[in-house]
Amino acid sequence: MNDQGRQILQMLSEGKITADEAERLLDALGRQQPEPAPGANPRPKTRLKYLRVVVHSTEDPSGPTSVNIRVPLQLLRAGVRLATLIPPQALTKVNESLEQSGVPIDLTQLKPQDLEELIEHLDDVTVDINDPGSKVQVFCE
Amino acid sequence: MIPQLVTVGYRRPNGHRRRLFVPVLPAALVLSPLLVLAVLAGLVACLIFKVRPIAALLGIGRVLLALPGTRFELEESTTAFQVSIR
Repeated sequence: MNDQGRQILQMLSEGKITADEAERLLDALGRQQPEPAPGANPRPKTRLKYLRVVVHSTEDPSGPTSVNIRVPLQLLRAGVRLATLIPPQALTKVNESLEQSGVPIDLTQLKPQDLEELIEHLDDVTVDINDPGSKVQVFCE
Repeated sequence: MIPQLVTVGYRRPNGHRRRLFVPVLPAALVLSPLLVLAVLAGLVACLIFKVRPIAALLGIGRVLLALPGTRFELEESTTAFQVSIR
């Protein structure tokens, strides 16, 4: 309990306020300072700026291969917004082609706000694949 | 901020390295006649495919503004290729 809560209880014990008033004050205090959710991260979330893809492979007998890609998350957002301009006729054709290729995804159901949310939550994505011959890492920094 | 410098580097199998620095603004000024033509062609394409031209221009502008910081590096045995946008 914080200092303000203790102060209210002190006032109640001293008879300065009634039990009902104390209850109302404590309720108001609770609304003013909401408790953090049980699973919530208490630390402030740092704003990540880049999506990184790093691949190291030694499977090729001619020599090691490495790929290092850094994409600003802002670029992903801009790309997603640009993709929302695709006309519906084109989306229908893309859907048909995807279905013929065995990928039954309906792109018309993808809403800009959903894509925004997807990009926002990329911050939490970390892929780490360790294979004897290769290593793949996807993360945000 | 718009991209200011694009760096393209490569290494050939014989070990020969090259790095090319492209200042975006001067290059855009030099290529401005072609850019004007490209914008006009884009506007015509927007009208044909029923895409809002202003929205398309804004979208492309956003992509351009977000480009700084992008880096792509590929290294395969004796060859390498790198693109960096600052």
